[in-house]
Amino acid sequence: MADILDILDIEQPGTAEITRDSILHGDKMKKKYVTAKAARRPEGMHREVFALLYNDNKDLPPLLPTDTGKAYKQTKAKLGMRKVRKWVWAPFTNPARKDNAVFYHWKRKTDESKEYPFAQFNKQVSIPSYSESEYNQYLKSEDWSQAETDHLMDLCQRFDLRFIVIHDRWDRAAFRDRSVEDLKERYYNICGILSKVKTNPWSNTVTMVNGEKRVYHYDAEHERKRKEQLRRLFDRTKEQIEEEQTLLAELKKIEARKRERERKTQDLQKLISRADGNSAAANQTAITNDGMNTPSTVSSSIARRHDRKLHKKKLAAQQRPMRAIETVTVEWSGIKFPEARGTGVWLRSQRMKLPPGVGQRKTKAIEQELRLMNIDIAPTPTEAICKHFNELRSDLALALDLKNALTSYEFELQALRHQYEALNPGKTLTIPPSICNMSTEADTKPLGEIIDVVGSPGSHNNTI
Amino acid sequence: MSGPNGMLYGGDEIGALVFDPGHHSLRVGYAQEDTPKADIPAVIGVGPASHIPDAEEKVPDGNITQSAAKTGNELRHYIDVTEIHVPRPGMEIQTYIKDGQVDNWDLFEKMLDYCYSKVIRSPPEHHPALFTEAVWTTRPAREKLAELLFEKYQAPAFFLVKNAVLAAFANGKSTALVLDAGASQTSAVPVIDGYAIVSAAVRSPLGGDHLAAQAKIMLNNMHIQMLPIYSIQVSESPYEERVAAAVPGVHHEFPGGYHQDFGPERFKLTECLFEQTMGAAQLVCSAAGACDADARPALWGGVVACGGLSALSGWPERVARELAARAPSSHRLKTHAAPSPQERRFAAWLGGSILASIGSFQQMWISSQEYDEGGKGQLERKCP
Repeated sequence: MADILDILDIEQPGTAEITRDSILHGDKMKKKYVTAKAARRPEGMHREVFALLYNDNKDLPPLLPTDTGKAYKQTKAKLGMRKVRKWVWAPFTNPARKDNAVFYHWKRKTDESKEYPFAQFNKQVSIPSYSESEYNQYLKSEDWSQAETDHLMDLCQRFDLRFIVIHDRWDRAAFRDRSVEDLKERYYNICGILSKVKTNPWSNTVTMVNGEKRVYHYDAEHERKRKEQLRRLFDRTKEQIEEEQTLLAELKKIEARKRERERKTQDLQKLISRADGNSAAANQTAITNDGMNTPSTVSSSIARRHDRKLHKKKLAAQQRPMRAIETVTVEWSGIKFPEARGTGVWLRSQRMKLPPGVGQRKTKAIEQELRLMNIDIAPTPTEAICKHFNELRSDLALALDLKNALTSYEFELQALRHQYEALNPGKTLTIPPSICNMSTEADTKPLGEIIDVVGSPGSHNNTI
Repeated sequence: MSGPNGMLYGGDEIGALVFDPGHHSLRVGYAQEDTPKADIPAVIGVGPASHIPDAEEKVPDGNITQSAAKTGNELRHYIDVTEIHVPRPGMEIQTYIKDGQVDNWDLFEKMLDYCYSKVIRSPPEHHPALFTEAVWTTRPAREKLAELLFEKYQAPAFFLVKNAVLAAFANGKSTALVLDAGASQTSAVPVIDGYAIVSAAVRSPLGGDHLAAQAKIMLNNMHIQMLPIYSIQVSESPYEERVAAAVPGVHHEFPGGYHQDFGPERFKLTECLFEQTMGAAQLVCSAAGACDADARPALWGGVVACGGLSALSGWPERVARELAARAPSSHRLKTHAAPSPQERRFAAWLGGSILASIGSFQQMWISSQEYDEGGKGQLERKCP
């Protein structure tokens, strides 16, 4: 800083800075500094040259390195601005002590009159006290003698109500062994009685609520129970813990299986409701849109209704072991073909394209079914063909889903039957025919018929 | 003492001394310091006095008989490492401590004399004295110690604290389960709020000395002679620690100059410390199990390992592992051991040093006035 001020020829205020030097040398230095400032650099002389010729003392630079400063001669360095305060090895008495014992410690001479600062940490728990007559009048107990009660109160005072420690130091030679809860019960009992009788309540057991005294009530029975439970929990052996863990794992597995089953039923239900919705929708279209109202469609719609009833029956049979499941009705036909695609002109065959949501496997399966029915995979896309072809494929997809669901349930039924037989050897589970027949029928029926039953537009397709 | 904001901090030094008598050594030093001034072996050489080996034999004249007669029944006591390591004819190595308590009071007095005159170099009446004691110290032994300090040494104040409590303090805990592996025994003591739970303390005689004895047997079986024989008695513990600890170099040179490489023997030797029924981990389990159920979580959460034997390399890790295997899963186990072996060895002393320099502790001392008034009977009340 000084350098820059020097370069810019700015006069420097002499007293602003406090350097180590100014502290060490005190006032003398300052005076010199002020006088040195009187010398000014002659015009035209380089600063560096001037600095060589004149230092602050306006002396010539020394020829030999010298050491004339007073730094070494001064014995004590002044490090602070104030005078040092004295420490003395002085006697002190501690007001927290009852015996006025005198110890010695280092303290400031100025603090000599002050009280021992650590005495403020001397905190005591207030323990109720009682006279002999009070004891005889209020506190008599069949279980506790007065000597024992006195001992308890003494220990409470000594160990500041740390009941675990009190229990440890309990005089077992003189009195019988008591549990921590017994000790606490007696103590709080005494506190309660005394605070009712006496005017002077003890802060740790009595709280004032709306001007009335509330005495802390110690529930010994509950505490004993809690301790017992804790003890049991902590004293479990490794085997017990392991057993518990395996049981918990089993429970989790069972729950997972249950959830899986529920999920399956729900899926099935969705499928059924779809089928129902689909057929209903088809009905409507058959009646309103077609306008032809041929007897065949009517009969088919009747057949479908019948079918729906059958489905419901099956559903009820399946539902029995489950909790009530919400029947979700989704208006969804097997495959949803998007209506308009993009703007401008488009090929009608585009309408027959399966949407990307349909999986590869499903597509393959639908194609397979179509082949079985001798239907061209890509028919000429007239308006009517387009519509019916799409409907047919949608119903096919639905039928496939239903079939899959049926086989999986069939499998599960068989598995459960085997499980049952394995668990109860010698017994055989006869599956009620109401469940069984369906499956066998479905299996024996040729595929085309099922489709005919489920999906109505098939018949249309055949006619076209 | 007090800061600018009116807060009280720091301690208050009143020139107190802390004595930590143990089986292997006695630690003594000023309170508020971080290491004891001296660590004196707990054995004293007792031999005939004035037997300066060479001088006497070289100059046989009429005075010898006289001096021999004069000093013959007088015994001299040799204390501290440099003295007991000198071989002297007729000198016997004796210990004053037995089962954690002072047994031979005459010898112990000699030791205290030595501490005051050679280590502290200050008269005992200037320094309050804080002593550590084993948890199971009997009442007569405690009172005898108080009597000795007040009546013989004129100590201005005296206090006794259980070493397990101090070890917990040294590790910054007031509630802990202190596992103290010392020279003569290993003990596990629950400490709750700065009070040792005496009834739940457990101990086993598997300590450093046992390890040393085992090592001696092993060396005998291997036909390695220890020479000179007295060096075993004195330097047993450190020597064995050197052998048994897993020092990278397994090569060991014996005092006799014999060399041998030690492999698995080093590890086999210490296995006895972790034996099923009396091992360190088992002690901790039974000590915790004997405590009230409410206190157990706190105890398991602060298992403190200390003592000279815990300086054995690998010992804390092994104990922590065994504990983890045994501890009930319902508790969070935390094992704590001071990082440096010295801190572990001097744990009780360090705790005493901390305690005696706390300002609020100064009201706890039994002062000589109190002793004069109340006698030694109040010791039980004042030093729980």
